Amino acid sequence: MVDFLQMVLSGIAVGSSYALMGLGMVLIYKASEVPNFVQGEMALLPVFIAFMLLSTYNIPYYIAFPATLIFAFILGCFLEFAILRRAKEPNILGLIIITIGMEMMLLGFVSWKFGADQRAMPFPISTYDSIIIGDVFISSLDLLTLVVALVIMLTLFLFFRFSRMGVAMKATQMNENAAALMGIKTKQIRMVTWGISAVVGCVAGLLAAPVLVEPYMMWGPMLKGFAGAVVGGMTSLPGAVFGAYIVGIVEHLFGGYISIEFKSVVAFAIIVIVLCIKPSGLFARHYVKKV
Amino acid sequence: MKKYLVYVLTFMTVVVLGLAFNAAAEEGITDTEIHIGQWGPQTGPAAPWGAVARGTDAYFKMINEEGGIHGRKLVHHYFDDGYNPAKTMGGVKQLQEDIGMFAWVSGVGTAPGLAVKDYLMDRKIPWIGPSAGSRHWIEPPNKYLFNTYPLYLGDAQLLCKYAVETLGFKNIAIAYQNDDYGKQGLEGAQKQLAKSGLKLVAEIPVNVADVDMKPHIMKFRNSEAEAVLLFVGPGHVARLQGTGKAMQFEPQWMTSTTCGDIPLMMAITKGGYAGTILASFGMMDPTAVGIGNIEDVNASTHPVLKKYHEEAFKKFAAKEERWGLTFAAGMGYVEPMIEALKNCGRDLTREKLVAEMEKIKDFQGIMGKVSFAPFKANDPSCRIGQTTVFLAQATADAKAKVLTDWVKTEYIPMGK
Repeated sequence: MVDFLQMVLSGIAVGSSYALMGLGMVLIYKASEVPNFVQGEMALLPVFIAFMLLSTYNIPYYIAFPATLIFAFILGCFLEFAILRRAKEPNILGLIIITIGMEMMLLGFVSWKFGADQRAMPFPISTYDSIIIGDVFISSLDLLTLVVALVIMLTLFLFFRFSRMGVAMKATQMNENAAALMGIKTKQIRMVTWGISAVVGCVAGLLAAPVLVEPYMMWGPMLKGFAGAVVGGMTSLPGAVFGAYIVGIVEHLFGGYISIEFKSVVAFAIIVIVLCIKPSGLFARHYVKKV
Repeated sequence: MKKYLVYVLTFMTVVVLGLAFNAAAEEGITDTEIHIGQWGPQTGPAAPWGAVARGTDAYFKMINEEGGIHGRKLVHHYFDDGYNPAKTMGGVKQLQEDIGMFAWVSGVGTAPGLAVKDYLMDRKIPWIGPSAGSRHWIEPPNKYLFNTYPLYLGDAQLLCKYAVETLGFKNIAIAYQNDDYGKQGLEGAQKQLAKSGLKLVAEIPVNVADVDMKPHIMKFRNSEAEAVLLFVGPGHVARLQGTGKAMQFEPQWMTSTTCGDIPLMMAITKGGYAGTILASFGMMDPTAVGIGNIEDVNASTHPVLKKYHEEAFKKFAAKEERWGLTFAAGMGYVEPMIEALKNCGRDLTREKLVAEMEKIKDFQGIMGKVSFAPFKANDPSCRIGQTTVFLAQATADAKAKVLTDWVKTEYIPMGK
């Protein structure tokens, strides 16, 4: 029983990191209707910037982390404004290729600028500390990730429900032409959505960096976040969160009870099953194509 | 008539001399140059091992600065294969067929190496010092392929022997990377423990893409392992040790030569690597340092390594390059070839290089002693190179405490 609880708790902890990546992807999917494969690298570059600020320039955390989040926001906006928006009447495939191209450019830039050596980022809390509840452990970093993920989810919920900008974003996502007719600057909204998505992804990156910083560090979380978003539904923010937690928990239970060797691929098996049974995802409304 | 005879004779002389010159000229050799090829990942997930090729490059430049080898400079051609066997094959073919390499050196990784092994061997092109401790390089042995990296099997044997006989542990477990490297560690550990009537209490595979190590640590904890062998990459060592500490599971960690860059390991584990016992293939001579003494790779007392640090690394490495085991290993793997090239004299051919390589006995540079023997198709030991390793323990200040002298390990043939 202790093992089962430990696996569920560990699954929830790792699912929080997937959830942040999944949220970032869904935000962009709703705005631009493209699965965003540059999501991981939109977090990767800011993480290396944070690493540089902390390790090379010895800038304190309370300045380095907010500066990194601002950088992530600008990076997200820049990618939408400078690259994605320039695509002439692109179809979905074209947009996907553009995001893959951006992913390769950012990854190449990080590898060239910072090198391939593995590093660990300084962080205010130790990655080795843990909290014990009965016989079940949770590391302080996992607990922090869980709390931060919940705070971000709540903030996004409040933002979309009550802020003017949030409502404008929802309107743009629902019907861009109608939103534009109502005076909403839809291009600007889409750009800001990319910025917010980059910030959410960057938070996931900053919470993964204390363990290991390396150029490919965000590839795994991005794929798992994508899996979670597909499971929950690419158009549903709560769906992406639940999907990510499902992936995290199932992955751990599968690794613990069935096969640790195939633990990493179980997320993709879940995608296939969900797409066969409910293509729009578990929590999304039935798929409706905008015309 | 005489005039025509002179023309004909002149023409024939030119043809005969030309043919004779072609027959004598070896691919990749000119009067002033020896062309050597190498691949290595400069990008991609295995890029930290890209330092091997850069280390070789700095080493060759040092040799050139010292005057080259019998009047010839070493021209080093290395390319980024991204640890992708298809790219390795493409790059090797391109360099071999467009420029023409005399020989190939090192080359990181078992999979990329396997992709080009037959290509090189079929053309009788020497390949020296593959940068992976795989049995595939010597079983079956190839006349033109010389291994210098001690096999991973040996690391596991020595680590298990030390854990059982010196530390008195009975419960030993292993986390192994799910590939040739990890599986050799698993096999070496199983065989060694069987000699003491023991079995591994947990054998946990780790996939390269795995980032979350909690399920792995849970299994180790349930197995009550006293020592855990880590036959994984440096990143996974950091993740396993960090997760272990967070879950209050702290066995005696033991690892292979692959994770022997102590300053790097200490940095990425934030000090968690201290106390880890590691197998080592060189960069210090335990016989000279003495058991129980401490050595620092950045301020080495090893005379040859000190020279390489000063004359190769400081003069020829890029400004942002880090001096460490991986970079230095790029020099160590190819030292025997340089020795053989020097012994070949000015009249250099591939066959002569092979003959001189086969004469190498107990050669020692910055690695352990390396020996080869005349080629025998059914004897892997003629191409095994280095068969000794030693153990060290990482200290809290990122140095190495010597635990054993050089120990010869047993070769275990495939499938036995």
